Amino acid sequence: MSRRRRFRPRVWLWAMVGGWLGFALGPYVWMLFTSIKPTRELYRFPVQYFPHHPTLRAYGLLLRTTPFPEFMAHSLVVAASTVLATLLLALPAAFSLSRHRFRGKKAILSILVSVQFFPSVLLVLSLFPILRALDLLNTLVGLVVVYTAFVTPFSVWLLKGFFDGIPTEVDEAALVDGCSEVRALRHVLMPILVPGVVAAATYIFIFSWNEFLFALTFTSSNQARTLPIGLDSFIGNFLIRWNLLTAGGVISAVPIFLFFLLVQRRLISGLAAGAVKG
Amino acid sequence: MSTVSSRPAGRARRLRPLWYLMPAAVVVLGIIGYPVVRAIGFSFFHYNPLDVTGAHVRFVGLSNYLRALTNPGFQHAAVNSVIWIFGVVTVQFLLGLMGAVILNQRFRGRDVVRGLVLIPWATPSVLAAMMWMWILDGNYGVLNDLLHRVGLGFLAQPWFSQPGTALGSLMLIDVWQGIPFFAVMLLAAMQTIPGELLEAARLDRASAWRTFWAIKLPIIAPTVMITTLLRIVWTASYMDLILIITQGGPGYATLTVPADAYYTAYTDFAFGRAGAMAVIQALVLLGVVLAYLRLLSRQGILDA
Amino acid sequence: MIPETRQKTRVVASVVASLLTSALVTLGAAGVSAGAAASSGKVQTVHYWYWEDDPAVPTVPDLISKFNATHPGIHVVGQLVPFNSYQQKLTDAVAAGDAPDAARFKDWWLGEYAHKHLLVSLTPDIHKWTFASDVVSKYWDTGRTSPTSPVYMLPDEYITFYLYYRKDWFAAAHLSPPRTFSQFVTDAKKLTDPARHRYGFAMRGGGGGQDQWYAFLAAGGARLVNRHGQVVANSPKAIAVNQWYIDLVRKYHVAPPTAVSDSYPQLIADFEAGETAMMAHHIGSYTILKDALGNKLGVVPMPQANPSHPGTMGTMTGNVIFRSSPVQQAAWTFISWLSSPYAINILDHSPNAELPILKSVVDEPYFQKNPFWKVALDEEKYAHDWPPLPGVAAVSGHVWERTMDQALLGQITSRQMMDTIAATLKGK
Repeated sequence: MSRRRRFRPRVWLWAMVGGWLGFALGPYVWMLFTSIKPTRELYRFPVQYFPHHPTLRAYGLLLRTTPFPEFMAHSLVVAASTVLATLLLALPAAFSLSRHRFRGKKAILSILVSVQFFPSVLLVLSLFPILRALDLLNTLVGLVVVYTAFVTPFSVWLLKGFFDGIPTEVDEAALVDGCSEVRALRHVLMPILVPGVVAAATYIFIFSWNEFLFALTFTSSNQARTLPIGLDSFIGNFLIRWNLLTAGGVISAVPIFLFFLLVQRRLISGLAAGAVKG
Repeated sequence: MSTVSSRPAGRARRLRPLWYLMPAAVVVLGIIGYPVVRAIGFSFFHYNPLDVTGAHVRFVGLSNYLRALTNPGFQHAAVNSVIWIFGVVTVQFLLGLMGAVILNQRFRGRDVVRGLVLIPWATPSVLAAMMWMWILDGNYGVLNDLLHRVGLGFLAQPWFSQPGTALGSLMLIDVWQGIPFFAVMLLAAMQTIPGELLEAARLDRASAWRTFWAIKLPIIAPTVMITTLLRIVWTASYMDLILIITQGGPGYATLTVPADAYYTAYTDFAFGRAGAMAVIQALVLLGVVLAYLRLLSRQGILDA
Repeated sequence: MIPETRQKTRVVASVVASLLTSALVTLGAAGVSAGAAASSGKVQTVHYWYWEDDPAVPTVPDLISKFNATHPGIHVVGQLVPFNSYQQKLTDAVAAGDAPDAARFKDWWLGEYAHKHLLVSLTPDIHKWTFASDVVSKYWDTGRTSPTSPVYMLPDEYITFYLYYRKDWFAAAHLSPPRTFSQFVTDAKKLTDPARHRYGFAMRGGGGGQDQWYAFLAAGGARLVNRHGQVVANSPKAIAVNQWYIDLVRKYHVAPPTAVSDSYPQLIADFEAGETAMMAHHIGSYTILKDALGNKLGVVPMPQANPSHPGTMGTMTGNVIFRSSPVQQAAWTFISWLSSPYAINILDHSPNAELPILKSVVDEPYFQKNPFWKVALDEEKYAHDWPPLPGVAAVSGHVWERTMDQALLGQITSRQMMDTIAATLKGK
């Protein structure tokens, strides 16, 4: 291959990576600038990008005078717990739907996905008494339970898709070797499935991290409020605290970035890597 | 095909797949089942949630459905919903697929790029809405300002203020949030492509495009189908951006079915009619899902 | 294969585990206390919901702690609910039988809630209340559903719409701020210059714009209901004034091109950035506008179609007690304390201030000497509230915005708009 032919695709690749980064992070750059602007410089025409008198005041206020750090910790706990709970439920279910043949499978798949057909805002009214009966109002556990119930159907579907991608010969061989089904699932299928599980876990994590309506409705004090509720509370009836809102947005992106950075290597570690190495 | 059930089957063995399913089914149906059934039930009643004594609850048959279907607002909303769902999911999918291919290349700083481009996905709707509302503002918005600065001022628009651009602007924000979803899912699916196949293609000097089309795509097909299906269902009900930025306006320009149902429920206190709207949407989605499942199993992409 | 497998599973497990522990550690560090409110036998707990106008200044929580410190038998637990989600969250709580004992409330919602018998009549307690005679007498009606009904909402703070304007722009153009509708249009036209991104009037066609619209409707002499309580929103007068309002955009072009979708954040931003010369709002935005514009900020009463019969829009924020509450007497003790001179003074000297409702407070120099307060307080005499009809929730929730947008876009006429609004107010 000539040097030229290798060079051109590189340029395209970098152009696309650059364009994507610009689109994805543009709003965050604007958020960052806004968070360090004094209130007087917020609205200018023509648009003023970088503040004349940058200040970190909003970050100080946010971390010292508001319960925002607590809310972020709550979000992390709820999201991580929901990931664990959902995977425990969804992995066996997806395995069963992918590897077993039984009657009513199509019906089960349809029912699973169809509970998501209704806008959750119409369900929240009837969920309320259920949570109260379980004594889970205003608790992080309550949020984990609701999120798990809502995210499990999608996770089952997703994981079933990833299971389907693995040839049945793989588990067949394990079973012939005398493995029990559970062992086969754990020691043979799971490792191949790591990218799929990580992808599903990412989906579950982000669903819980972003969720607003249930968190709004089912929490009543700072002991159970989460990040989106915290951000929303900076929007007052007559005053929008843009500096707090945007500082909160910038800060909340940090753990998310670290989480992705940590997790992305696991996305790339299945069959392909194994096969190339082997 | 099926490995496990072909073995000698006792009663316990036959029931085993159901045991695997049970915990998930119990949690999902135990928590969501009642609210769904109740919402369907509402749709046949005149029901105001503030009427706590139930004194004015009465059965009205299909009249909530008739009122919804004959309401011009709902008809606008139905058309908008179709545009919203298919527009958003198509663009998200195409860009997400491109993204997955890019992230699957080897280049310097790839790990950091992977972490960074996923951030929009984890942006709470209220924050995304407020930032984009500002960026796309028709008077002092960043986008219009940038267009003026690079000499494309004639393209500057009051984005949210015209029926022709408002829905598209909201879709842009949803696309921004949703690309990483597809990128991650498809990237994960690409890892299941056996290395020897790619090696063979390389030895054959197949072009990148042909390799993608003939080798990669068939293998990631189940994930493609499932993720688009899930995204369609999810996008259908997603209305946070609409409620925060345009409230369905200008006029009916950005009103979708769930947004219409929301206002009917919480500002008109007509939960029955809102339930009917939601049921209509659910029936349409059910039709889509069933058709999809049939298509998938006929083509052998999905064992359902 | 097996060792490698184990390793991978272990890596995944450790990632998840470390995430969990790090989250838990942060949680501990953040100092979450179990929040076990000591509920000894005799203390009555009152659950109270509120929203705040300025989220950065916790005026209401401060008031609650002051109350709790001076009332040993009662413990008030406040819950902040952002205004945008307030009605939805309250509806869900009420429907689930989980309503608070007392709540901050708007007069707009009174019709729906009182008609469903959810609120306690406060009339007997008001008769015994020390400060009842100090309340501006007109305000009692804002807590009623008809002139003869019991009072369901105890007034706490009031708002009247007036006109903010850019003093410097008016001076530079040798104009004086408008007193009449025709002066308003003339001034707005003179101050509009699209080439310089300047517009005469900050029209709010987006969410929440119904208050501004109603203020102009009232100033134009139109009414939504007549004195017998009948809906007259589609009277020829109302249709004509509404047409005039639509014409500000369609005929005179004195509003920014975004007017049809502009909501509160855009309104404030445009006015602060120097895009608009006049903006109809109330004392609630005084703090930030003064902060941003300083001496360039001026205020006048709403311009009038007929200055000898003036009108504007007014709205009350008060407190209600729910019938479902087991501690109604304690709740009354709290909300009546909130409307006492002591608490009103604290509230209305804070950034969360609106207009005081007690005559003794209104007369203080702090309010009488500052034109932004004085103009608003003087308008009280001719301010019109939203009528206490159940349909008001739907009109302000989405019907007004839907029809106003269509009228501003030329899709429907003023008559069609007012017919729809009248039908909604009548409950269809």
